Formats: sequence, structure tokens, C-alpha cells
Amino acid sequence: MKRIFVIGYAALLLASVAYAQESTPAPPPVEPQVPGQQPGASRSTPPGQAVVPVPVPIAPPKPNGPIQKSLVRITATAVDPDYRAPWNAGALERGVGAGFVISGNRILTNAHVVANTRYITVERDGDPNKYPAKVQFIANDCDLALITMPAPDFFKNMVPLKFGGIPALESTVSAYGYPIGGERMSVTTGIVSRIDFQLYTHSSVDQHLAIQISAQINPGNSGGPVMQDAKVVGVAFQGYSGDVAQGVAYMIPTPVINRFLKDISNGHYDEYPDLAITYAKLQNPAQRRFLGLQDDDRGVLVSSVIAAGPSDGILRPGDVLLAIDGHPIASDANVELDGERAQFEEVVERKFRGDSVKFDILRDKQSMAVTIKLYKPWPYSLQGHSYDVRPRYVLYGGLLFQPLSLDMLEAYRLTDLRLRHFFEYFILEQIYLQHPDVIVLSNILPDPINSYLAPYRGEIVDEINGKKIRTLDELSDALAKAPERIVIRMIGEGPPLVLDRDKVAAARERIKTRYNVLQEQNLEEKPASGLASAGR
Amino acid sequence: MLRQSFVAFSIALVAATGALAKKESTVASAAAKQKQLALVRVNVTGLSYDYFRPWQKKAPFSKRALGAVLPKGRVLVTADLVANQNYVELERAESGEKTAANVRVIDYEANLALLEPTEKSFLDGIKPLEITSDTVVGDRLAAWQLEPTGALLATEGLVTTVQMTPYPIDIGQFLTYRISIPMQYRENSYTVPLVKNNKLAGLLLRYDSRSQLLDAIPAPIITHFLKEADTQDYRGFPSGGFSFFPTRDPQLRDYAGEKGKGGVYVTNVEPGTPAMKAGLQVGDIVTGIGNHELDENGNYVDPLYGKIEFTNLLTAHAYAGDVVPLHIQRSGKPMQLNLTLEHRDAKDYVSPPYYLDQAPRYYVVGGLIFQELSRQYLKEWGANWQREAPQRFVYFDHFQSELFPERNRRIVILSQVLPANNTIGYDDLAYLTVTKVNGKEVKSLDDLAEAVKHPVEGFIKIETEEDPKQIELDATQVAAEAPALQENYGISSLQRLQ
Repeated sequence: MKRIFVIGYAALLLASVAYAQESTPAPPPVEPQVPGQQPGASRSTPPGQAVVPVPVPIAPPKPNGPIQKSLVRITATAVDPDYRAPWNAGALERGVGAGFVISGNRILTNAHVVANTRYITVERDGDPNKYPAKVQFIANDCDLALITMPAPDFFKNMVPLKFGGIPALESTVSAYGYPIGGERMSVTTGIVSRIDFQLYTHSSVDQHLAIQISAQINPGNSGGPVMQDAKVVGVAFQGYSGDVAQGVAYMIPTPVINRFLKDISNGHYDEYPDLAITYAKLQNPAQRRFLGLQDDDRGVLVSSVIAAGPSDGILRPGDVLLAIDGHPIASDANVELDGERAQFEEVVERKFRGDSVKFDILRDKQSMAVTIKLYKPWPYSLQGHSYDVRPRYVLYGGLLFQPLSLDMLEAYRLTDLRLRHFFEYFILEQIYLQHPDVIVLSNILPDPINSYLAPYRGEIVDEINGKKIRTLDELSDALAKAPERIVIRMIGEGPPLVLDRDKVAAARERIKTRYNVLQEQNLEEKPASGLASAGR
Repeated sequence: MLRQSFVAFSIALVAATGALAKKESTVASAAAKQKQLALVRVNVTGLSYDYFRPWQKKAPFSKRALGAVLPKGRVLVTADLVANQNYVELERAESGEKTAANVRVIDYEANLALLEPTEKSFLDGIKPLEITSDTVVGDRLAAWQLEPTGALLATEGLVTTVQMTPYPIDIGQFLTYRISIPMQYRENSYTVPLVKNNKLAGLLLRYDSRSQLLDAIPAPIITHFLKEADTQDYRGFPSGGFSFFPTRDPQLRDYAGEKGKGGVYVTNVEPGTPAMKAGLQVGDIVTGIGNHELDENGNYVDPLYGKIEFTNLLTAHAYAGDVVPLHIQRSGKPMQLNLTLEHRDAKDYVSPPYYLDQAPRYYVVGGLIFQELSRQYLKEWGANWQREAPQRFVYFDHFQSELFPERNRRIVILSQVLPANNTIGYDDLAYLTVTKVNGKEVKSLDDLAEAVKHPVEGFIKIETEEDPKQIELDATQVAAEAPALQENYGISSLQRLQ
């Protein structure tokens, strides 16, 4: 990555020079670009030239070939679970996205185009038919999915696209798709603006490499290829709405795509592993001396090690990470990879579940080496969106108990200080050790047996009849085996919530009928539909 | 400046309608019979401390208000008005004559303050206001304001509710009159007396111009305040020290073994409070206080107001030092506990609920600024501080009795970092909770100041609850660069611990 940044820096410098000199005698206008002309002319800036006007409009890039033979339009009908009435199937949503054919008779698209879907059809250019499709693999953590076509001849005459590398900063790229639901293919063009780690909003908890481009990307572009020199250099996936920032769109770069395709090659998507540590940069000279480090700009300080992660018992707070797999870690947390500078986590980003990573560390001023076998720590999933699963819940006496999650918080728009604290510090304060599920009394379906229980809404269950409740299964179990009187203690001060078992039993059918509750509990995060989750 | 203060207290008065003016004239003429109004203008200049730069004060503010003249040459205003003052001036309404005044007693929690003119004869000729405590729902009260000429502007309103509500310093609840009244904006509308039959019935607490509802500090609270103010040592309103929950739910009543009718469930007894000392326990049902029985919601029947929350018995009707019999049921058995009431000072909280007329404590080490968490600090984020201030600190403040039951401590925070040679690489740090310094536990700024004096092998090591968990400074370098830090950032003193 370093090379890209260096080039980018020089190019930006030139551009600013160009702007600065615009007040000097106007340069001869640039000849209108003839379509089909070599694209290099508009991209590389001869350094010797004094004034280079910014070409507007940008000259058409080199034709990327007959994209119509690779691009498909995906119509997906999704059922989004209703966290406020989790026994219901949920709301029907219909969306249009793009996808493209890659080798092996597969179609690549975004996970968010096909997540939660129950029925998918695919259309291709010049063919009036809609073909049913199936999700083969879905990677919600990096917003990619592969779909397959049961129709035997679908891929006949389709041309699989090939992947390129990371495009240079300021080079021109074209995005293909069906923005705002249109039926015909649309092309937009822009330049590569920035390459950096970004939050992938589909899960809202994962960060990976992403490339910012200036091409217009709108809903419907999602999953479509972004091309340069007839090769795919990214998959368009997210952007800002117009009121936040203009002309800022993101695509998933090929290292992330290639990792996904490699991950599934064993027939299963294993997700990204994570070190599950937090660290601090080591740029303070006094701190470096305190830790016994030399003045060599190397090392970062381990702040926290998450017990549920692969580094637990191997790394300790206070350790200094000096090198990862032999790559020296600079004090600003960067390493050099293939001559490019990147955050050291990029080394882990390129690995798979079960792979190992080796750290050279300094512990209590002693050098040592440790090896960490990687996997994905589970507690993070609470802080991200879930897809293709039925919400877990227990309804008892009209009281709805649900485990805390991002989806649940958003559904109820909960702003309670304690709930927010439990959500935000679930991992950092290791709350998950005591409460693998943070069980919230999220809603109350009014009935005579719970008339006075409204003040308990939004509270977190601590124990039932003296037994600590750690998971929703334990809650279900405790309620099922409850004696005559059920005493539920919530976290914090407040009286216990008391229920009479026989009264609850008597109210059961009444509540089920009145509120049309089809199922009183769901304890398993089972897939909502077999169609969308074949690869999970 | 003035308008700003009005906005801050959500008093935006609207212009009167024609119909209203007519109605007022009758009230005004009645009051005009009194020759010299028992009102003075009060002009206040003050400086608030800047918690983001705790070594300095903010730009001066000025407020103009009215004060009610009381017997013994005293003037009653709200505490809001004179908090953080450094000059208070009284001005005669009819002559414009002015004199300086001192704040004799101030109670931030009840939002009341007593002023005394430095010139004893200043209030001569003014017949002081008597206080009437018999206001009930349905009474009409007049809000007294002054026209620029010094003439009375009186607006009449109807008392719609008498209830317990929180006051601006949110500690417990106090008796409040709610009055439906169309107030007009006048320059001196900060503290407005409410008058019944030419007697003082209340003082404006807050006004909402949209709903035209005014909340007033009622005469019983004012009387309590004045009675205590006459004693040598003002102690403030007492509190019991326990929290409670209604027992409306029959399943909860059954569980608690409560066979009777009323009572509230005790949910928390705070250590060190009168309730703890009296032996009250979580799970007890408080069924009565003194001669009053409590219903399931905690209301007693007041001879004046009817049903009202029992906390009124422990505030308006009781004084610190009083012994109040508490009738309880414990596991179904009736018992009596004697509650010796105390006032709980702001300093007795882990995160003090207010910190006024006092300079905030702080300690600067090499560019790291340490402070003690208080609600006053959080309120620096403005009216929406509960949402805008660092949420972790709001959480600590809100749940302080649960999170820090030992009570006798402060939460020391690293509030911000001033970029300097000592703090290279630390400049992004802010809002961290300090646990240890040089290996010593830190439960106050004094602990921190002491621990900083004992570097370990030349380093000052600060440990925090949040990432990065540890911060080190070079003790020699910190000392060497202190003068430059003070000079660069205009810090008069690197610490204030008194």
C-alpha cells in the first residue's frame, strides 16, 4: 500500500499546483478526448508539464468490454425479522441490486442484496426471462455473497469477469449497475479517491479495506462491478446519503473479494478471525523508555486482551508487540506489506480460521515470541447486525424477554443508560463472561396478570428464584421449572418482579389469542429460510 | 446576556393580550393601595467557573431580577439568581436608588437565597411581605413584576396542582405549586414573587411559555428555609436516604408478606444515611410516617392538599435532627424505626450533584489534566448534557450509589490532554477514569497529588480503567517543562486542591 500512497501524494501535490497556477495565463484548452483514445492520457500526469487542467468531463475510460454479457440484475424479496413481535414472520421487503458472473458459473454480489431473502430472481441483458436463483455463500462480515442459478443454460453465452488488483489513486474506474431500480444497465465513472480501512455498514461491526471512489453509486448499484482496464477492481457497496457527503462512494477491493472466494473454497464460509485485543500506539518517548524500548519507532502497547478471543492467555496487557509474522510493527501500528504501508491488522485480515500468527513481543523488558491460533471471537456478534436468523425470545405471562443486540436496540429505539452501557462495554468490560446473553424485559403485552409491571420494562434480568440467569436458555428453563411463585430480580435497585405461576398458566391461552402469538419462545438462532443460508 | 439567562431557565414570556390586561387592573389596583411595593430590583454580576479550563472563569454574566422584601431587612430571591455571583446590587423600584447586598444564606437544593443590603436603612419605608402558607388548589395567585417606571405589573393565575416535583438541582422532590398563568416578559422577570391577598405565597421556579404553566416554590418551603436561616448554622432540607417503589402489584404485596392496605417497598438503603442508621432494610414495607398512613403509591392525606407523596413529610415538615417514627412491615411483622433526619451535603456524594460558588479542583501533570467527576462538570455539555456528555461518566454519575457503595471517595478523571513535549502520543486521550498513580490507588485528587510526588524509577505511571490502561511520564521532564506549559496555555496555577 505504501507505493499507492506515495504516488497518491505526488499526484495530489501536482493537482494542487495546477489549481494554484490557474491564475497565470490560461493554458491552451485541451483537445476534446476522442472516444476510444488511450485512457492513459487522462490519468497519468506528465510531471514536467507546468499546468495540467483537471479534465472535466473525465474522458471515457478504455472500454471495459461487453459488460452486458457479465452483468445481471437481481431482484430479491426479503423478510426482515420483527424484533418487536418476534413470533411474526416479519416485514416483506423487495429490492433490486446488481451482480456479475465470475468463473465457475457463479454470480458475485453484495451480502446486503440477498440477506434475509426468501426468493431471488436474476435477469440478464436482452433476455425477457426472470430466473430463480439460490444463495450459495453469504459473508455478512464483508458484505459479499455468491449465488447460483439452477437453470442449466443460464451461463451459456455469459462471460465471466476477471479480477484486477488495487487501482492506483486518481485512476479512473467505472461502476455498473441498476441504480434506483432502473431496468437498463447504468454506467457511472469516477476516480479512486482514497484507500483505507472502513466500517462495513452491513454488519456495522466489521472493518476492512475499502476504496473510496468519486463515481455516483446509488441503491441498485450494490453488488455491481467496478471496472478498470476490463478487469473488476471492486464491488460497489456503500456510500453516504447526499446530506452527509457528496460524491463519496465505496467499493470492496479485490483483496477482500479474493479472501472471500478462498475462504469458501472448502465449501464453508468461516468468517474473519480476529485477535480480539486493543492496543495503543507507542509514540511517547517517556513511555518508550519506561517499557525498555529503544528509540527505534517500533512497537505498540497491548491495552486489553478479550477473554473470549484467541489471544487470551497468550498476550497480556502491557506487552509490546514488536513484529507480526516477521514484519516489524512501527510505533504508529503500521507494517510494510509487499512494499506498502498498512495497519498491522491487515496481516490478520489476510488469514483464515485456524491459521496462526506469530508475534515478537517485549514482556517485562524481555523479548519473546508467541503464536496465536486464530478464530472469530463470538461476543462481537451482539454489536453487529444479524441476518437470516430468527430473533431469540421468551414470552412468559405477557412479558417478552429478549437478548440485547444491535437489532433489538434499534427496533425499540432504546436509549436507557444502563442498556447502552451493557451494549457498548459488553466486550471491553467483559460483561459477556457474567451475561453471555444480556436478557432484557423488552416489552409487555398487557394482561390483568401484568397490569403493574410496566416500570420493569427495559430492565435486565439478573436472577430467577435465587438462580443467576446467564442465557436465554437458562431463563426459559428457570421459568419452566418455576415453583408456585416466580421471583425475578433485575440488575440494579428495584423490587423483584413477582409472578404467580398458576395465574400465568391461566393467562397463557388468553394472551396467545389476544396478541396472535404463534410461538411463545425461540431459543435457537436457526436460519429463517433454507434458501438464503445454504452456505452457512 | 439577560435574554440568554432567560432561555437557559426556559422562561420566555409572551406579550399579553388585551383581554388579559383588563383582568389584571383589578388586581393591580388592590395592590397599589400599598404605598411602597415590597419589591426591589436585584442586579447580579457573576462569573462561572470553566470546567473545561478549570484554572479560569468564564466571561461575566449579569442577571436582573426582583426580590421580595421580608421582615428584618432581608430580600428573598432564588438561589439560581445569585449562584456564582461576585456582585449583587439592590435597586429601589420607585426611586432607582442602589446599594450593594450580601448573600446571607443560600440553599441550592431548595433554590432559595436571602440577601441583606450593606446599607441597613436601604429598605426603610418598605412594608415587608408577610408569608401565607394556606394556598390550595383553586386559589388565584398574582405574579408581581415591575414596569420600567417602577409601577406594578400583576398577572393573576389559577393554582391547578400542588405536588412533589424535582427542583433544578435534581436532589429529591419538593412541594411545588403549579399555576396556569399568562405571564408577560419584563426585563426583571428572573425571580417573580407570587402573591395572595398581599402576602407572599410563592416564588417563580420555572415557566413554560407554550403551555403557560408556572411552577412555584411554595410558601411552606420558603418558611422552612427562613426558619432554618434564623439559626446559627444553616443545615438545609433533610433526607431519609432510601428509595422506594409502589406496592400496587398484589403479587409483590403477597411476596413481601404485606397483609394491610398501603405502604411502599424499600428498594435501596444508602450507606451512611439516616435510613441505614435507623436499620431500614431493602424489602421492608414503609406503611406510615409519624401519624400519617401511606397508600400503595406512597401518598399520605395532607390536611391542605389531600393526597400527596410522603417525601413532603420529610422535607417541608421536618428539619435535620428531627426524629421521625417510621412504621414498617418486615416479613409481615409490624415494626417501628426512628429515623433521625440529616441533611446530605453535596460533598457527601461520590459525584457531587452541584458545585457552586466554589472553584473546581484540578491537577495538571505535564499537560494531562485531572479533575474529579461531578454533575457540575457534566453540565458543562449544556442543557442536553445527559445525552451529549461522555456517556460513561453520565453512567457513573447516574448509578453512583450502586457502582460506588463505599461512598467516601471521588472519581478522578483524566479530562483532557494539552499537547506538549511530555504528552506526545497522548494528545488524543480524554475522559479516562484513573485507578492508580505510581502503584497507589487514587480515590481523590488529593490521593493523586500525593502519589505523583513519588515517581517510580523516575517515571510517573498513571493507570486508567479504560484503554490505553497505562500512561507514563518522565518526572524530571515534567518538572522542567512545567513553567513553559503554564506560559503556553495561560495556566495561572497547575493545581487547585482546596
